[in-house]
Amino acid sequence: MLIDLLGVLALLFGLFFCGVGVLGVIRMPDSLTRLHASGKVATLGLFGLLLGAALLMPSSSLRLLALGLFVLLTSPVATHAIAASVYRRREIVEELMEMQAEPEAPAEPEAPIAVDVTAVLSRSRIQDIIEAQQRALQSHTREDDADGR
Amino acid sequence: MIESAIAQTAIRLVLLALVILLIPASYRVVVGETLPDRLQAVDLITTLLIGIIVMLALVEGTEVFVDMAIALAAFAFVGTISIARYISEGRTF
Repeated sequence: MLIDLLGVLALLFGLFFCGVGVLGVIRMPDSLTRLHASGKVATLGLFGLLLGAALLMPSSSLRLLALGLFVLLTSPVATHAIAASVYRRREIVEELMEMQAEPEAPAEPEAPIAVDVTAVLSRSRIQDIIEAQQRALQSHTREDDADGR
Repeated sequence: MIESAIAQTAIRLVLLALVILLIPASYRVVVGETLPDRLQAVDLITTLLIGIIVMLALVEGTEVFVDMAIALAAFAFVGTISIARYISEGRTF
């Protein structure tokens, strides 16, 4: 009688989580939040139902607990695979939208930058920059030599 | 079989509630905006079906239904994994 009561309590526990999970699946706004809700159904809800069934039907309780262990092991893997597919699908959609938004984008930014460098900086200014860089490089290597010795 | 009347009533009520829960889950299969949403709802329906089969085994007192639930869980896992791989990779294997 006590075992029956415990089994009924476990059944109600599982049913509660099944109801909450299904409610979350129809009410949540996003794919990933819906996955969060349906993961609860697979682990807590179904495992509660199986535990209650194992308490109520002792003749096949071992098989029911083995099924519960199997569900506990596999359903998070399935949920993770679905979440990875949601994430990957979003990446693909974003890439496609970027490609659609700016089709000639790669060609344009290169040309203005190349023109700007040669047009704005005069030849002497470019020479100055190159010499400054060479001087910095030499002093740097000298410092390195001094440190090495 | 289960003797106490409370447990009998509770099992039948839980079975009825699980069958009713299938309706909103299939709503998500029909409405769901993207393909992963539908896959996730089908996975949820399979989970509820495993619970329904176990409850049916309790009501009828037949233990063969538990083996059916184990087989359904195994096939549901393989199917969900392969379809999720198909969505994310573009191919199954």
